Amino acid sequence: MRQIAMYGKGGIGKSTTTQNLTATLADMGNKIMQIGCDPKADSTRMLMGGKMQPTVLDTLREVGAENVTLEEILHTGFGGIRCVEAGGPEPGVGCAGRGVITAIKLLEALGAYDEDLDFVFYDVLGDVVCGGFAMPMREGYAKEIYIVASGEMMALYAANNICKGIVKFAEEGEIRLGGIVCNSRNVENELALMEAFSERIGSKLVHFVPRDNIVQQAEIRKKTVIEYDPTCNQAEEYRKLARNILENDKFVVPEPITMDELEGMMTEFGVI
Amino acid sequence: MSQTKTKRSVTINPGMLCQPIGAMQAVLGVHAAIPLVHGSQGCAAYPMRMFNRHFAEPAEIALSSLGEDAAVFGGADNLVKGVHALAARRHPELIAVVTTCLSETIGDDVDGILRKVDLPVKLVPMHTPSYVGSHVTGYDNAVKALVTHLAEQTGPNSKINVTVGLLDPGDIKELKSMLGMMRVKAIILTDITGAFDAPLILPRPPFPDGGTTVGEIRDTANSIGSIALSKHAGGAAVKYLEMKHKVPMIAGACPIGVENTDAFLDNVSQLTGRPVPDELRKERGRLIDAIIDVQFKVAQKKVAVFADPDVASGMARFVHELGMDPVIVATGTESKEFVKDVQAIASQTGHEIEIILGCDLYELHEAIKRVGVDLLMGNTHGKSIADDEKIAFARLGFPVYDRVGYQRIPIIGYNGGINLVDRIANAILDHADAA
Repeated sequence: MRQIAMYGKGGIGKSTTTQNLTATLADMGNKIMQIGCDPKADSTRMLMGGKMQPTVLDTLREVGAENVTLEEILHTGFGGIRCVEAGGPEPGVGCAGRGVITAIKLLEALGAYDEDLDFVFYDVLGDVVCGGFAMPMREGYAKEIYIVASGEMMALYAANNICKGIVKFAEEGEIRLGGIVCNSRNVENELALMEAFSERIGSKLVHFVPRDNIVQQAEIRKKTVIEYDPTCNQAEEYRKLARNILENDKFVVPEPITMDELEGMMTEFGVI
Repeated sequence: MSQTKTKRSVTINPGMLCQPIGAMQAVLGVHAAIPLVHGSQGCAAYPMRMFNRHFAEPAEIALSSLGEDAAVFGGADNLVKGVHALAARRHPELIAVVTTCLSETIGDDVDGILRKVDLPVKLVPMHTPSYVGSHVTGYDNAVKALVTHLAEQTGPNSKINVTVGLLDPGDIKELKSMLGMMRVKAIILTDITGAFDAPLILPRPPFPDGGTTVGEIRDTANSIGSIALSKHAGGAAVKYLEMKHKVPMIAGACPIGVENTDAFLDNVSQLTGRPVPDELRKERGRLIDAIIDVQFKVAQKKVAVFADPDVASGMARFVHELGMDPVIVATGTESKEFVKDVQAIASQTGHEIEIILGCDLYELHEAIKRVGVDLLMGNTHGKSIADDEKIAFARLGFPVYDRVGYQRIPIIGYNGGINLVDRIANAILDHADAA
């Protein structure tokens, strides 16, 4: 079982990329569980055909920890993907980080980590902000991290920050960075910049996913690209991403760069 | 058979303690081990005081002393410094890092932090957030953590493992005596007689003699079987040993009273092939005799029992054996298993038993007013309820600090049964005298 966590700046397209990736991997015959670690609980929406499923924490709140069953919180979506949403408190109250810890521990206690799974994916909100959102990086959970980014200053800034988190956990466990996934924003020189950035932090660009409207068209129809139009170009791009991840053998402890270095790169590649 | 559960959103005089205190008790039963509480001051000060009052012994508890800065920036630095300082000053064989509400909420990766520490001392992380479960859960998690991190298969050892649960030093001595009579060698998880029944001999050794050694815990993977005296407190460890190391487990009723002690000895017999000797049969006979002697004093009295789940259900069965009527059985710990156990007793007695789960003392008091009882059995905090309702009161459980020597007197086994017979009958006699 490979456990993979996807991190990246908020709004970068983590959930979209993750769902398209897991749908493609499932289409290739892999057994997958996807856990959304975001209080917004929209990480598995397209896999579930738009159906909002009850989150772990909502269920916990309603029936109590003793009475939660796996059937209530784990629903099967496209390609047999087992979808879970950790959920969280309402905006402005409570501790969402603790929510992630509680949800993952509960899934473990209920036996969700079935041995016949090929992949478990964690789709984690935004930056690493506290111990809760770092939970998937702990020993025994995800050992591979992919960072979704694009060729914009703040996306790379966030990616660099996430690398700092990985370094910390890599000292304590076996967690490694598998690479950067570019979810293209069509900015100038993006491919070259992303390749250079990935190399600079000691990793590699796993795949450059080009921008294509079909992703939005599929999303409006509450579907992943592979389900909406498996023959289109973009589906082929996601297949390449999936294959690159399947065959990936470069797992590193990243070397984050300084803000000055990052700004230097942006100038060098003509972005600023 | 009614089952009530607090629906109020306020608890009045809680019927349970928090997870870390249970974990600390388990760790203090390990020789040369120190619990290091990863939390703020009160998380260590309060349990220490509770142990002092109940056991009348000092308890050595260390603390990572988290303040506001740690709550914001994480507690890793405090923990690492704390472990180093503790190792340098006290040279323990084992440090158990007991987490708290605060460290669990910050999300400190305690396992990861400890993995980086390079010291010649065993470090065992124990996850005990207080907002889940109770002290019983904490004890259960702690013993499981000990075997998970230490137990390893080497070769058969012809011993049995016995997890005790939150019982007293007197009970452990009684347990050892019974196993001794059966000539059974046992690893006791964990043996608090060293720490909490220590002789005063000067100069004091750096760590109290006795206690379960780290080597013994390592050896639990090689035993011929495991018995959990309290399935709620120790059950998780024996389950783990069965799953991981194929050590067959038995988790029956706590050996309080005739039937439960019979079953326990049969279980030991079954695992080891050793017969129950005549000496124990004689003890059993003495207990039966003691029960008969008090019949006219105790028969048909209505009893409310309030204790941790395993002690409460064991006690409910025993008062039934005494010819008394258990009408309320209450525990501060949530457990479906407990409900099943008490329902089984109710179906034997043919009388209704009110089961109160996750209760506070207010709820217990209300139930006693409603049902009407002659005798309340519970810890020191139950005294005021008994006084208010003008009913007899017999002490049971943790903490008992308004009488001297409680912790020395066993309640398990046939001898423990005799003690309980005396305690119950005398409570009723004292109450009659006072009236």
